[in-house]
Amino acid sequence: MGNPVMQFQILSKSPDATARFYSELFGWSVDANNPLGYREIKTGCGEGIQGGIWPAPAQASNFVQLFVAVEDVAESAKRAQELGAKVIIPPTGLPDGGELAVLHDPEGMSFGLMKKM
Amino acid sequence: MSGTQFRQLLKREFEERKRRNPRYSLRAFAAFLNTDHSTLSQIFRGKRKFTTDQIRRWGKKVGMSREEVAAYVAAQHVPDPSVVKRQEQLRHWTAEALAIVTDRRHWQILRLSGKRGFQGDCRWLAEQMGIGVDDVNVAMSRLLRLGLLEIGKAGTWKALLGSGRVTEKEFLRRALIRVRELAAEDGVELRERTIHSSH
Repeated sequence: MGNPVMQFQILSKSPDATARFYSELFGWSVDANNPLGYREIKTGCGEGIQGGIWPAPAQASNFVQLFVAVEDVAESAKRAQELGAKVIIPPTGLPDGGELAVLHDPEGMSFGLMKKM
Repeated sequence: MSGTQFRQLLKREFEERKRRNPRYSLRAFAAFLNTDHSTLSQIFRGKRKFTTDQIRRWGKKVGMSREEVAAYVAAQHVPDPSVVKRQEQLRHWTAEALAIVTDRRHWQILRLSGKRGFQGDCRWLAEQMGIGVDDVNVAMSRLLRLGLLEIGKAGTWKALLGSGRVTEKEFLRRALIRVRELAAEDGVELRERTIHSSH
């Protein structure tokens, strides 16, 4: 398989306000009825990727992460480290059986690795 | 920026003059700018910073407009990207340490994760703790970042606090040591009395 960008994630200090803004602007639906309370964004279109909103800590700036699909999150995180990336959140299980990790690339930009079930 | 761009501009001006006249010296350029050559030499080597007055006077001497001079003066007051990055790292790690000290939710999540009947569901945790799901998720993310919590592929939550019985006070101590270790990896030294960047 290739490694497509699976999902965008908005990290916001005001996730409700962010959800409201994009829902009103683009008609996106936002549903947080899942074990993580994760605000899943459905853009309402088959084109492009879907996303989500996660609460950012007070000291962080609001930003967007891209999650790239991989076969093996731990293996890809290790490979990324060899290429100069830094692991911020190590491979972590998701309630649906998937897995993710969050890293900084060598330029300090945050991105995610994801294996969906 | 701290005058980097103005320094480069002056160097280019000097090199251009040397190109036109190979005998043109740093001393001659310093005289043109109405300064001494050792001052100019130190500035060129980055050993000395410009004053705002120097940028105004020298900018005018090399034919810059008032607006161009104003842009270079403004740039002088913008910190270097490396300084900004160090400040951001310092702010980040200080905030992580303070969050651990001031917010009991980290401890409560870890304590609950070891209890019988625990559910790896942030909505359940929020209900148990009497807080919002976002608050749970911010604290949970921090615990994951600090390597104090592990959520396995099977969805099992495990507190990573080391061996022995861990009280809340002991959790605080170990968590802050962890913050200090991670900050040190970023070149930020968090000490008891002083907090500074070691870069």
